[in-house]
Amino acid sequence: MPAIEVRNLKKTYGDTTAVADISFEVGEGEIFGILGPNGAGKTTTVECISGLRSPDAGAVRVLGLDPGLDREDVRQVLGVQLQESQLPAKIQVREALELYASFYREPADVGRLLAQWELTDKATARFGKLSGGQKQRLAVALAMVGNPRVVVLDELTTGLDPHARRTAWEMVEQVRAAGVTVLLVTHFMEEAERLCDRVAIIDAGRVVAVDTPAGLAAYGAAAGQRMRFRPSAPVQDALLLALPEVSSVERHGAYLEVAGNSEVIGAVTAFLARRQIIAAELRVEQNSLDDAFIALTSHPGPSDGPHPTSRTASEETR
Amino acid sequence: MSASTASPRLLPEFRMTGNGFRTLVRTQARLLRREPAIVLSGIALPVALIIVFGVIPAFGKPSASLGGRTTLDVYVPTFAMLSSVLTAFTALPVSFADLRERGVLRRLAVSPVPAAGLLAAQVTVIAATAAATAAAVVLIGVVGFGATLPANPALMLVSYVLGTTALLALGLLISALAPSAGVATAFGVPTMILNFFFAGVYVPLQSMPHVLRDISGFVPYGAIVDTWSGSGAAWQHLAVLAAYTAVGALAAARVFKWE
Repeated sequence: MPAIEVRNLKKTYGDTTAVADISFEVGEGEIFGILGPNGAGKTTTVECISGLRSPDAGAVRVLGLDPGLDREDVRQVLGVQLQESQLPAKIQVREALELYASFYREPADVGRLLAQWELTDKATARFGKLSGGQKQRLAVALAMVGNPRVVVLDELTTGLDPHARRTAWEMVEQVRAAGVTVLLVTHFMEEAERLCDRVAIIDAGRVVAVDTPAGLAAYGAAAGQRMRFRPSAPVQDALLLALPEVSSVERHGAYLEVAGNSEVIGAVTAFLARRQIIAAELRVEQNSLDDAFIALTSHPGPSDGPHPTSRTASEETR
Repeated sequence: MSASTASPRLLPEFRMTGNGFRTLVRTQARLLRREPAIVLSGIALPVALIIVFGVIPAFGKPSASLGGRTTLDVYVPTFAMLSSVLTAFTALPVSFADLRERGVLRRLAVSPVPAAGLLAAQVTVIAATAAATAAAVVLIGVVGFGATLPANPALMLVSYVLGTTALLALGLLISALAPSAGVATAFGVPTMILNFFFAGVYVPLQSMPHVLRDISGFVPYGAIVDTWSGSGAAWQHLAVLAAYTAVGALAAARVFKWE
């Protein structure tokens, strides 16, 4: 039995179709990523899995249970960290954990959770006084408080600084180490690549691809590669574009960004060498999951993520 | 597989761990203590009023028009009830709407706690506050200023309990739906004023047209006051209050909005 099964899910709000047709299965023990641009239907899908929304059509099962019909049973085994969900500002960290622990038939030990998520020092601090990273750690601790078999983490690292983001990734790995199935919603490539066993790319309410990060990256690599450098002498765009391997040239101040097929890097390097031009600060885009994403979703850029050659940045300079 | 529907049950979900309910009551009581402004008017106003009425000498003199009772005697139960009215239509809906607006209920919605349990826990806390205030009002009136209790204290107590539950159930219905504290106030305050009106707070019931007096028997606060004044059959008023309690509470748990 899959941990999560979503079949032909459809959800509309008035005239807006949030989810057109989404199907996927998450195996037990997997970290499964849902990746997609804003408005792709990620959160709606997660809300249907959590039982916050009922689907207009299609079906959702968590460990074989229907979140709409078996509300209590699903919630006993499903831990959820949601966007835009809060605690009362004046509740203390330990009180919040004890409160949520009391709702479950077999809760985790609150003292141990506090220690595991580095909140012991903050046990008597009020929720309103916590930092973003501390709130996020508490949100994950709360998702784990019922000893769940499946955990949903929606945009866990959005709004966190790079350090806190890395800590959050370690948290996800800890969750999996405890034998829990994880559904991770994100719009960061790097995050999906680092954590997920498999990733579903969602766009405009549909699943456009499901594969391992490596499988998706290979798809992206086949679609082309990209390099960025500062030439030691002026280079004409037209000459580069004349190379059959090159598909586009962009200028960002002193830098050139050249994209093309899988042979583009060799071709451009040879071209520059013939003219005795040095490609200073050469950077070849490694993270071709990014390209897969763009190729599959036909969206300009997936994220404001920590990626070194984020496309969003180049969009702005254009 | 067929599509799952919103909620196939007629009755709302009630299953909840006993420890969960106790912890929820304790936590909500704590949070209310840390945010006392929410219940302050419901406590302070009735207590202040009974003291003011107590110190006015004329209100302590028996009046023939009140059947030999003093004005203070008549107002002790009214002020005792006032805390229930105020908290039911202000503190209760505003506290829920605030939690809803901030996304606190959204988080609770994905935990196993049922809406009915959440409502019941908050009602327990609010009702305890109202009951303690009522007890203080009676104590101040009787011990402090020598008011005498009505002839039938048992009926008084029953009508107080049913009256409080009826008012809270109506407040719960607003609590279940109001998307923000502002909307909660916009619905709560007029409902409260309507209750005051039909209880004869603004215009004495005796001087109201017949049709309004009849309606008053079907408005919670009106039914309570009618029970006390002995107009109409007491059992009928108590039945009205019981109906409000049952229908209001069930409807609130059924239509409860987590967001």
